Amino acid sequence: MLHHLPVSAYTSREWFEREQRHIFSNTWRYAGFMEDVSEPGQYISVQAGLSNIFIVMGRDRRLRAFHNICRHRGTQLIRAVGKVQKALTCPYHDWTYDLEGNLISVPDEEREFGRLDKSCLGLKPASVDIWKSMLFVHPDPDAGSIMDWFGEVDSLIGPHEPETLPEYEEARNTYEIAANWKIVVENYIDVYHLSHLHSSTLHMYDHAKAEYGFVGPHFTFWEPPVPDYAEDQDSKLPAPRVIPADQNGTWVPMLFPGIGLAASEDGWNVFIVEPVAPDLTRVTNRSRVANASAWAFSKQAARSAHFWSKFGLGGKYEADDATSEDDPMASGDFTSEDIYACEQQQKSLSSPHYEVGPAAVGESPVLTHQDVVLKWLDRQQ
Amino acid sequence: MNHGFYPLTVQDTREEIGGLAKSVIFRVPDELRRIFAWRAGQHVCLRFVIDGHEQRRSYSISSSLVSGDPLQITVKRVAGGLISNHINDVLERGDVVDVMAPYGTFCLDTAPNLRRTHYFFGAGSGITPLISMIRSVMCNEPHSTAYLAYGNRNADSILFREPLAGLVEGHGERFGLSHVLSAPSMWSGFSYWRKGTVDREAVEALIAENPPYAQDAQYYVCGPGNMNNTVKAGLMLLDVPASRIHMENFGAEVESDTSVSGIAANARIHLDGRTHDVRISQNQTVLEAMRNAGLSPPYSCQSGVCGACRAIVKDGAVHMRARMALEDGEIDNGHVLTCQSVPMTDRLSIQFD
Repeated sequence: MLHHLPVSAYTSREWFEREQRHIFSNTWRYAGFMEDVSEPGQYISVQAGLSNIFIVMGRDRRLRAFHNICRHRGTQLIRAVGKVQKALTCPYHDWTYDLEGNLISVPDEEREFGRLDKSCLGLKPASVDIWKSMLFVHPDPDAGSIMDWFGEVDSLIGPHEPETLPEYEEARNTYEIAANWKIVVENYIDVYHLSHLHSSTLHMYDHAKAEYGFVGPHFTFWEPPVPDYAEDQDSKLPAPRVIPADQNGTWVPMLFPGIGLAASEDGWNVFIVEPVAPDLTRVTNRSRVANASAWAFSKQAARSAHFWSKFGLGGKYEADDATSEDDPMASGDFTSEDIYACEQQQKSLSSPHYEVGPAAVGESPVLTHQDVVLKWLDRQQ
Repeated sequence: MNHGFYPLTVQDTREEIGGLAKSVIFRVPDELRRIFAWRAGQHVCLRFVIDGHEQRRSYSISSSLVSGDPLQITVKRVAGGLISNHINDVLERGDVVDVMAPYGTFCLDTAPNLRRTHYFFGAGSGITPLISMIRSVMCNEPHSTAYLAYGNRNADSILFREPLAGLVEGHGERFGLSHVLSAPSMWSGFSYWRKGTVDREAVEALIAENPPYAQDAQYYVCGPGNMNNTVKAGLMLLDVPASRIHMENFGAEVESDTSVSGIAANARIHLDGRTHDVRISQNQTVLEAMRNAGLSPPYSCQSGVCGACRAIVKDGAVHMRARMALEDGEIDNGHVLTCQSVPMTDRLSIQFD
């Protein structure tokens, strides 16, 4: 057991498939940033657990979401991104749907089918909404209000207005971690590890003062800057401020399932966890920063450089102890440290001698998250 | 006998737009509160007996129950109108009026967990149900946003000008107010959004300038004359599903697009540099007749979507059953979709591109 879950929850195909069906096909899934579908006719498709769903914007600038399945032979209707005019045509037999999903045209309908009740053959709708500047889809067309899902954490994840912050596109990043998605999430919400694994990479925040807990299935987290970083903070922020000057700290919630946010005084980031296989997880990062000129960013970077050179970001291990030039533990990059820790943990799971010790107070979110997973699977069965 | 009418006492009245309208606030006694629990957008029927004759009129309720306001109607004077002028001239605090329980299906029911984008299109006294709806959204749907395009003649004829400005002040992040004036005074310092009426362009502009953030978008239309149909047509052109459009329907102006079967016609077709005479029978589309005649015109989807079969009507007229593939400007230029066109004149001349 890893506390409340069996080892097989992290290694078996059977668990993976149950989670895909009952968790990832049954909750609001992150589908991108609102800018990704921002003009009429534009669309994207996204995998939401077992369902492939596409989002398209109509001329009324409202988003529609449909299961990406032609109602004729079930062919995937559209490709990942693109722009259509006013109708969607399946490439296979040219069945055509309008942007409301109605089947409006079947070539040679009468000759091939006789009378066809097209009204029963519309695309299957799904739900779509925008929350905190992110697109979300839900495979269920009657998923209800997205605020029923996120409403209670809405005010607990930071004062940021991500809708007003442009994306910093250079920060877009997708990578795979050779570990189960829950290992990645558990690492994200493990408060105990912050002072240790990240002793030289996240020490600008005061982990001893962290405030965290669960609201329903969602984890919330806030911690203040250490006094050294808090004092005259505007001269120390690496980039221009994005929240009011009287508010500071970092908000690092993990919304269920696997929707991580990381927001602080100078930026707003997403950390999306997507299971690929029992032992493989894809992480997508995107960032928003202040709506300021390149000059303002350079100025702030230059202004804060002195503080950071003194404050000392560095690797967990000194160069002498590094195994190689690219040893993550000497990288001075907290993401590399996290990936390393997750993969090292996954490796051990196959050992017949695998056993975990007691959980620290700061690891209590890990146990709660395991309970949430269990509860969610139980409830759906 | 009360026939569903209940005597309600006028608690207060308030003159609006310089005496051209009057708000009447009724006291609803505790025992009638349940009966008079109205939904935003509903109206009440009032009964008066004037010169021995019973008169009934329905007026939209202009206050919101969820904001805690008392039952209020707002009545604009109608030139020569018996009851509207009676209310404006005579009705005062302490009077008792027979009022029927609120009714109507043009409603906006709010709930705090809902997160929607509400678009309102109104003109003149059509604002009365809309302001009730907007207030309800502001009070009871904290995650929802509302946009109002509101048409009037000039700044002085705007009903609820101050209350609406107050809503912008109090909820500016969630309420966008766009005044449309048809005859704005040059000397008024009042700033408005557009000159003209709440027409198709205004509909498009309001949505383009305020695209929905919350994706459950709903559209409410209430105005006099042609505004309702114009706005609805404008929304439909943008592919707003009819199920999301809510209109105050006054019964008389139901106008459904009855299917047109067309008439038999002789058509002269200019295709690929040659001219053909084709007989089109009743209920047949131009494309069907051409194919029956052995011609090979361009076509594809046969449903008005792709535009492959487009042509220009040089002479005569057709009715198009669907027209998705054409822009309005193209239709103005005579473009048609032959797969969707049935003749409306017995002679046609059609030119393919």
